[in-house]
Amino acid sequence: MTKWVRRRRTALVAAVAAATVLASACGAGGRSEGDSGGGAADPGITEDSVKVGAHFPLTGVAAPGYSAIPTGAKAYFDYVNANGGVHGRTIEYVYRDDAYNPTNTSQVVNELVLQDEIFAMVGGLGTPTHSAVLDFLNSNGVPDLFVSSGSLLWDQPEQNPMTFGWQPDYEVEGKIIGKYVKENFPEAKVGLFLQDDDFGRDGEKGARAYIDDQIVAAERYAPGNTDIGPQIAALQAAGADLVIGFNVPSYTALSQLTALRLNYQPQWIYSNVGSDPALVGALLGRFSEGKVTDSSMLDGAITTEYMPGVDESDDPWTQLWRKVWDAHGGEEGELSNYRIYGMAQAYTFVQALQAAGPDPTRQGLVDALEQVGGELRGPAFVPFRYSADSHAGMSGVKVVRIKGNGSEDLSPVQVTDNGDAEITEYTEEQATPPANGIPDVQPAG
Amino acid sequence: MQQFVNVTLGGLSQGAIYAAFALALVLIWRATRIINFAQGSMAMFTTYVALVLIEAGHSYWLAFGAALLGGLVLGAVVERLVIRPVEGGPALNAVIVTLGLFVAFQAIAALLFGSSFESFPAPFGLSGFRVGEFTVAFTPFSAFVIGSVVVVMLGLVALFRFTDVGLRMRASAFNQEVARLLGVRVGGMLTLGWALAAAVGSLAGLLIAGGNLVHPAYMDGVIVYGFVAAVLGGLDSPGGAVVGGLLIGLALSYVSGYLGSELVTLAALAILVAVLLVRPHGLFSRAAERRV
Repeated sequence: MTKWVRRRRTALVAAVAAATVLASACGAGGRSEGDSGGGAADPGITEDSVKVGAHFPLTGVAAPGYSAIPTGAKAYFDYVNANGGVHGRTIEYVYRDDAYNPTNTSQVVNELVLQDEIFAMVGGLGTPTHSAVLDFLNSNGVPDLFVSSGSLLWDQPEQNPMTFGWQPDYEVEGKIIGKYVKENFPEAKVGLFLQDDDFGRDGEKGARAYIDDQIVAAERYAPGNTDIGPQIAALQAAGADLVIGFNVPSYTALSQLTALRLNYQPQWIYSNVGSDPALVGALLGRFSEGKVTDSSMLDGAITTEYMPGVDESDDPWTQLWRKVWDAHGGEEGELSNYRIYGMAQAYTFVQALQAAGPDPTRQGLVDALEQVGGELRGPAFVPFRYSADSHAGMSGVKVVRIKGNGSEDLSPVQVTDNGDAEITEYTEEQATPPANGIPDVQPAG
Repeated sequence: MQQFVNVTLGGLSQGAIYAAFALALVLIWRATRIINFAQGSMAMFTTYVALVLIEAGHSYWLAFGAALLGGLVLGAVVERLVIRPVEGGPALNAVIVTLGLFVAFQAIAALLFGSSFESFPAPFGLSGFRVGEFTVAFTPFSAFVIGSVVVVMLGLVALFRFTDVGLRMRASAFNQEVARLLGVRVGGMLTLGWALAAAVGSLAGLLIAGGNLVHPAYMDGVIVYGFVAAVLGGLDSPGGAVVGGLLIGLALSYVSGYLGSELVTLAALAILVAVLLVRPHGLFSRAAERRV
């Protein structure tokens, strides 16, 4: 069946691609009088503006938390625009709702590319969703930067030359978690709670590299099916006393609720993407009756971090994000880790756009990122792995324990790479933000 | 063993919810001979009404009552305003209209209440009962769910079998012309059928929401499995709906627990096809009698 679907999708992509060629051929003819600028032949870029787009789940099962990411990115772009933009261009940011449904993603990305004529995709979210548009974006030559997902799919420069990852991939995260468990819980019987797609598979692969012999059960949930009682019951029955979850935040809440029902109390470890204590706390908040209060349910759970969060109010990066949010997004709600994620991604995009020089083209943007991407420093604790041969995002995380709405460190920042690469401690001092809050990257090459 | 017990109990409580939903479908089918695809959306809507009341600081039970009452009113209003005008035409028209309502209610709910996930409180504890040293996947709230479903089922059986109103409702659904000749106020009966069905649907919505997360589409899964349950039971029999609901709940729970959660939807379809192949009118129907 997969094969059939894939074939149909290929046919669809081909049809759409053909339509695009036609559309852009017509479009180029009609538009030529407007843009006389040097490198402004690509869609979405003019003398004074550049348009970028993204798809996010603003509704549906993955919306809690993730729907806040584009509001953060928008706030940071507004901040940059208010301070003169990048090479004199303001950044126009359009994002659309795909409800975490790959069919919708194909449709909204078509609209973004063909109708809104974006210059580049920045931060499109989700493993199942974004894989549906990977071919389309690459065959149309649209830079597909900083996918909001840690899947390994984004690092295939041969096959998908326009696509770049951003956050640490799930395999790297799984490996670092696995090593931590091996060293600190050598006797634990480990259960895995996995989203049934590349997200769960990559995480599992990383974890198994270190604790294959400790894993007693691996249970998978289909996103959308909210009854996970049978899965949690199976983990409990297998005697797992430590559960590693590679799941989205609403399933963190569901797994906690189901475990409460079964009085199942293993040591929980959630991957970074599913572990935001403020969000999970808000989801579980109403079940209180004294038993569950706010985020206390996640207290003591272990997770990972790769950049400072909203609770670290002394951190200069967090202070920058707060300043940006107060000036450009404040009325939409509180600053949260998800908004910071969006801002940090927007920050990296501004760096990339600066590196692409005063007259960026789509190909130029990708080339610049391959050349200098590995040297970019920002809010993350660790560098990116970008080069001509690698489009992989950040190289590591640190392991932390959730405490209230914040966290305490359990391990130093560690870096590694996919496959057999060793895990090593990362010692470079974290960069401080530029004084005006806007990066200053010199054009590459 | 512990896993088997927990998967079974989890399946039973899920099944009870499907049964509640199937009961609403049976009710509306018996009272009006229409399948109401909007049932789930209407239930979701009244559940949100309850959530708004709870957020405003009212007690759970007040909100619970208000949602049931809201369901009653909503059902009556929908029947009078939307279904009545298409009732004389081909039967399919009304069904298509309910499909439209299904989409419309979800959209309105998203506009009014937002489309993000919200937790919905439960009136009873959410930790399972302890049996010896084990905690089983059966909570005080699950007991409440199953209890409510049994009460509703008995109520429906009593309504249709022992009361005058029930008889008149069946007569109106069966043959409007004849019922009218016999002095039954058919219009009133149809409205009553819709109102009662929507109230039972609201109950299903509240039961599945309790201790869980709600959003405008949270009933979608229940709608599908509730339909399967109702059709399994034969669409005509309240007892059949409950048995169908519990069977589906158990079967899906075993599939999810032992085979994989990605197979749940497929399994529901497989069960439906298998049962209809063997018993085309459902497990509990005596459809032949209808072919007068």
